[in-house]
Amino acid sequence: MKVWDLLVRVAHWSLAACVLAAWITAESKLKSAEPIHEWLGYAALTLISLRFAWGWIGPRYARFGQFVAAPLRVLAYAKALLRGVEPRYIGHNPLGGWMIVALLATAALASLSGWLSITDRFWGAEWVQEVHEVLGNAVIVLAALHVAGVLYTSWRQRENLAAAMLSGVKRPAEPGDVP
Amino acid sequence: MNTGLLGGLCAAVALTLMASGAQATGFATCDAGPREGWQPQDKLAAILKEKGWQVRRIKEDGGCYEVYAMDDKGQRTEVYFHPRTLAPVPKGAKGHKG
Repeated sequence: MKVWDLLVRVAHWSLAACVLAAWITAESKLKSAEPIHEWLGYAALTLISLRFAWGWIGPRYARFGQFVAAPLRVLAYAKALLRGVEPRYIGHNPLGGWMIVALLATAALASLSGWLSITDRFWGAEWVQEVHEVLGNAVIVLAALHVAGVLYTSWRQRENLAAAMLSGVKRPAEPGDVP
Repeated sequence: MNTGLLGGLCAAVALTLMASGAQATGFATCDAGPREGWQPQDKLAAILKEKGWQVRRIKEDGGCYEVYAMDDKGQRTEVYFHPRTLAPVPKGAKGHKG
């Protein structure tokens, strides 16, 4: 069944590419990579804004209301996960849903702080540069955890979830699944 | 769930980040010898002010002085200087001797 719409998929992989390329261009310490790094930040902000709007007006599984779970449900899911009895979610599971919120928010703040650091007002301001570096590193750590979660859930459900984010298609809901 | 795998992954990420943080953070490195031979940052600031620059910050980076400033045309600029000679160091220079 079709779960991820075209905008969700394009925004996902484009943002992933932006984050990876921004990390590489930052670590390269090359003067020539600076304008690319800045451009990637603007692109990321655009993608995050689009995705955020889509989270309110997009189709069912794109909506924050569908996958942002209340704390007690997240806790219940985490407990079930530890006992190895977690249900399969057709959309994002409660932990995955919060990871998306965390990734989008952190990437947005990282981009914004990077932009601030090259405005006339904050040029050379140490605290802005440090905030940007911490947020940039946080995005990479969150992305690594996200990938670990996707790998683990793919293994548990015998379904390649990264491929599902490419095609948009997932195995139909079975009894016991959360639609 | 497989916490060992997750823990290992987190450790790998943390190590990578720490290793990258330990390197010089900037665009150039200088070979400026012992600190006694370095000129004070205040002197560099005064020279740049004379040129019409508004110096925002001077810090040490990779053995160079790294300056953030608005130049005489009001443009944001980031330039490295050699601590001994106070000569500008091109970005990308490694172990610049001034």
